[in-house]
Amino acid sequence: MSVLRPGAPPAVAPRSAPAGAVRAMLRSEARLLARNPGVVIWSTILPVAAAIVLACIPSIREPSKAFGGLSFFHVYQPILVLFALTLLAVQSLPDVLTRYREMGVLKRLRTTPASPALLLFAQLALTLIVSVGCTLLMTVVPALVGASWPGNVGGFALAYLLSAWALLGMGLLIGSLFRNAKVAAGFGTLLFFVLEFFAGLWVQRPNMPGWMRHISDFTPSGAGAQSLTDAAVGSWPTALHLAVLAGWGAAMSLAAVRLFSWE
Amino acid sequence: MIDVRGLRKVYGGRAVVDGIELSVEDGEIFGILGPNGAGKTTTVECIAGLRRPDAGTISVAGMDPGREGTAFREALGVQLQESRLPDKQTVAEALELYASFYARPRDWRELAERLGLIEQRNTYFAKLSGGQKQRLSVALALIGNPRVAILDELTTGLDPAARREVWGLLEDLRGTGVTLLLVSHFMEEAERLCDRVVVIDRGRVIAADTPEALAAGVVADQRMSFVPSATVDLPDLQELADVHAATRAGDRIVVTGTDNVAAAVIIALHERGITASRLRVDQPSLDDAFVALTRHEDDPDDPPDGGRETATATTPAGASS
Repeated sequence: MSVLRPGAPPAVAPRSAPAGAVRAMLRSEARLLARNPGVVIWSTILPVAAAIVLACIPSIREPSKAFGGLSFFHVYQPILVLFALTLLAVQSLPDVLTRYREMGVLKRLRTTPASPALLLFAQLALTLIVSVGCTLLMTVVPALVGASWPGNVGGFALAYLLSAWALLGMGLLIGSLFRNAKVAAGFGTLLFFVLEFFAGLWVQRPNMPGWMRHISDFTPSGAGAQSLTDAAVGSWPTALHLAVLAGWGAAMSLAAVRLFSWE
Repeated sequence: MIDVRGLRKVYGGRAVVDGIELSVEDGEIFGILGPNGAGKTTTVECIAGLRRPDAGTISVAGMDPGREGTAFREALGVQLQESRLPDKQTVAEALELYASFYARPRDWRELAERLGLIEQRNTYFAKLSGGQKQRLSVALALIGNPRVAILDELTTGLDPAARREVWGLLEDLRGTGVTLLLVSHFMEEAERLCDRVVVIDRGRVIAADTPEALAAGVVADQRMSFVPSATVDLPDLQELADVHAATRAGDRIVVTGTDNVAAAVIIALHERGITASRLRVDQPSLDDAFVALTRHEDDPDDPPDGGRETATATTPAGASS
């Protein structure tokens, strides 16, 4: 009978595990994402399609008194960008992590030399890549059909990345805390509607009563929407909104790492 | 290779593991047996560094699992109960991914070949049979070239054919230098694979020996049964010195008695010109030892186990409960 010799020289040359492991984990998770594109596609198809369709309608690109001199498109593009980002952050990201916890994938990872932080990093990176891809679609395609580019591209990118930090941190925290994927998905949906409300999906921020806009200023989605809107019309996001986003990002990521449970 | 002293783990005021001691030699296949809820899994999870003991010391390959570092994880392979993989990960992808975590992994192709998984290398995890999933689980526990592998309830839920398949694989590993710690509640599994076993009950070690010695330690009656060629007078058999009891069950005669009961009965039958067909003689097995050891005399619910009452006398217990 064949023998599995433990002392046999490894056929694979020794290498520094971490570097190889980061690449292997990213490749593996990307492959799994590509094989299960459902959640991601359904999260992003609506906002991406909406942004492109809106941009194709000339009247929607005209400045309007109803939005304080901004066009309908200007008001809604940041909201739609945040819509896609928020869905990916609070639904698809925690979904993968909580399902891995339920299945014991995290526990198995814990028994290997690889830190399970590897998986968190891979998931964060992939979600960010997908959401940046969506954002490019939602800004480049409208520009090609005649809508304006964000007036301050650097400010837009900055506002976007800080928003992503805040919202993905929130998703990571949900993924860290919940043991049951279905409960996490339910909570994610509820949170999504709250976030979208403050982003101005139903009542646009310029039309919110003052007290409501003040609350919105301190939510990640409200601060994110305003920062993106400011950049879209060519100015810089306010320091307050950027600080709010960075604060949420730092607090959420820290809590997610601290409270992460493997089982 | 593994040394556990005074291990204690308390959950909600109840000691799930209560002073377990065990010591596993290099290259041994060591079994941890016990009824459900005896504390087996908690014990190995402490050994694997996944749980922090409330008291006691553990050393695995000279390392303390409590201060688990990369070196500890490199030396130990673990296959835990109910640990799945993503449905759409293939066998080859899982093996390659897990190989990437270790500094000196095995060649996954060779491992897959040895474990009979090479045909399934491009099969999704969800499409594997129960036996194939377990073999993959074993493969993942061994991919890092560990010195010690812990395999928890490896064959639970497998059909008999798949179970034998996994046992065959572990038999291949014998003598290769990998120390195996096997958790099981199948006595047949332990009898076949383990060099030594401990029996755990209610968080304590109640017996530790080779499977053969444990089975032999049970002073259970030997039991034989046969179909006689002509009518047998039961009192005649009962008078024989080696016979404790003789009963009729349908057309079979069932006789229990000492180690010599089979020979004594056959000779007695021969003298009367009777032959015994479809003869069966049962040795006390590890199963009997296990039942005897883990029966709780203070549990009125425990079903009586006919004919084995004498076995309880051998419980080296008093140690337990």
